[in-house]
Amino acid sequence: MHLIRDVLDKQLIDREDCKMGRASGLIMQLGENTQPRVTHIVIGGPALWMRIRPGLRKLSTKLAHLWGPKRKEPVTIPWSRVKTVGKDVNLDVEAKETGALDWELWIARHIIERIPGGGSKEEE
Amino acid sequence: MKKILQLTLGIVTSVGGFLEIGSVTTAAQAGARFGYQLLWAILLGTLCLIFLIEMSGRLAAVSKHTIVDAMRERFGFPFFFFVLIGMVIVAFLVLVAELGGISFALQILTGIRFPWWALPVSLLVWLLMWKGTFSLIENGASLLGLVTISFVVAAFKLGPDWSSVGSSLIPSLPDSDKANYGFLAVSILGASISPYLMYFYSSGAIEDKWDRSYITMNRIIAGFGMTFGGFLSMAVLVAAALALRPKGLQVDTFPQAALLMTTALPRWGFYLFALSMLFACFGAALEISLAIAYFFAQGFGWSWSEDLEPSQDARFAFVYTIIILLAAVPLMLRVDPIKVTMLSMALTSASLPLAIVPFLFLMNDPIYLGKHRNGWISNAVVAIVILISFVLAIISIPLQIIGG
Amino acid sequence: MDINVELLLGTKVYDANGEKVGRIEEFRAEQDGDSCRVEAYLIGASAVIQRLSAWTLVRPIQRVLRSRKIYSVFEVRWQDMDLSDPRRPRLRIASKDLRHAR
Repeated sequence: MHLIRDVLDKQLIDREDCKMGRASGLIMQLGENTQPRVTHIVIGGPALWMRIRPGLRKLSTKLAHLWGPKRKEPVTIPWSRVKTVGKDVNLDVEAKETGALDWELWIARHIIERIPGGGSKEEE
Repeated sequence: MKKILQLTLGIVTSVGGFLEIGSVTTAAQAGARFGYQLLWAILLGTLCLIFLIEMSGRLAAVSKHTIVDAMRERFGFPFFFFVLIGMVIVAFLVLVAELGGISFALQILTGIRFPWWALPVSLLVWLLMWKGTFSLIENGASLLGLVTISFVVAAFKLGPDWSSVGSSLIPSLPDSDKANYGFLAVSILGASISPYLMYFYSSGAIEDKWDRSYITMNRIIAGFGMTFGGFLSMAVLVAAALALRPKGLQVDTFPQAALLMTTALPRWGFYLFALSMLFACFGAALEISLAIAYFFAQGFGWSWSEDLEPSQDARFAFVYTIIILLAAVPLMLRVDPIKVTMLSMALTSASLPLAIVPFLFLMNDPIYLGKHRNGWISNAVVAIVILISFVLAIISIPLQIIGG
Repeated sequence: MDINVELLLGTKVYDANGEKVGRIEEFRAEQDGDSCRVEAYLIGASAVIQRLSAWTLVRPIQRVLRSRKIYSVFEVRWQDMDLSDPRRPRLRIASKDLRHAR
């Protein structure tokens, strides 16, 4: 498996075949003389903007504080939850519980559902 | 045989590509100024599109990933973001132009000036995306778009000289006014080879749940669909050549373009022209808004589908809502849709390499396409389109200034 | 220490003698039960191509270029890479001891 080719930027799918964003980053744990291990997949947000320009990350964090879901830390998924790595990365999690859908749910609740015909997630 | 009904995806894509305000205006201008001479440009655009659209469909059917998915996954986020910015700016301008086209059509039908129509029209387009399913949009826009066949009727009624038409399918240079000729050739190509068509078709294939069994059907749909659109576009040019050129008329304003129909069909021509523009631009507006929203959703990995309720793909719905409402603003401020059209076509040409070059790599990727990768013919065509796109990119803006 | 893999992409790598070797362009890893071990780093020796690849479309064709030896890629085992300063990765071996990637 090649991390950049096979994992980074791939679509992440949860237990229920729900799209939960893309792998924006990977966290690697380094030890003094131990083999490095990839421990987490990072989703969305600041990690993404860091890849373009480090300054953008600060900007995006500032903007995120103005509106939207208030989230302190970035969303990370432990590598132990990775089921398969293929065309997409399948995870053994439920998207809603990971925080990956925080923005989706916030926009649904505060904007979409307030417009007639938008539907309601409550019905599920 | 249910697959044949999927032809509607091809038709709606090509109506949105060939008969929207940009293509109709340039085809009419080309006919009015140079007679049949620029038919080859429409033919070239059609051929390029057939291949590009077929590839977009094939990628989606085989890999179950769209072009945008593949672009993010193979080229990474920074590249995707760069293309996103370019694409959104250009597509937004085209969207403004299409809403302008619908508003203009309503202006000539009702006498109420176009800025008043901008907001109601954009709300109607939005409503269709909000409440409608993909099949509804696909089939509805195709069916309504069929009224554009009246252009073909008009062209036939004017009695063209078919041998001249035929010989104009081969490129030639005019005796005079070469800058304007070049500008129109570039505009015709820029108006037909629009990247948003590929993104829309690729996403549409996923919405329609295509799989490998659709590969042959995809070729038929792409071929037939784009030929249909190209043929209609040629009819516009021929009608303009016969109706406007002998009278020395140019197509500087929207109502003047209506003459190409009314000359051939005095009783119904006016209404047919207005309705044709109305439905064609409406289809195009839907396509572009969806293409932009698909681009965001697929690139960032959000859930997306026209068949889902908006609350189930909230970010996707949010994007098309914002885009469509913003697009009404310039029109409400009385910005001239024709000027926006010309600018958007020049910018589409200038940004074409950015959309087509990644395609060359994606269509040869074994991970996505396996044994359905491009053969040498398809690769050669993409290479030629890339060459054309670079030429267009370099000369489109200067030509706009000199010859426009 | 935790570092972001995607930010290591494209970082210049120096060998034990301080000479520039290339840029990190890929990480070969193996699934190991609940975690993922990094086995090796792939270093691309062509700075131009590497610099382009994050931004343009060279990444997918790198494999093709590599197989035709148009530009060389080295494979560095995890033991031979010192990432104590992630901004300046250093090899623990000399560049002459580098192996070409398959």
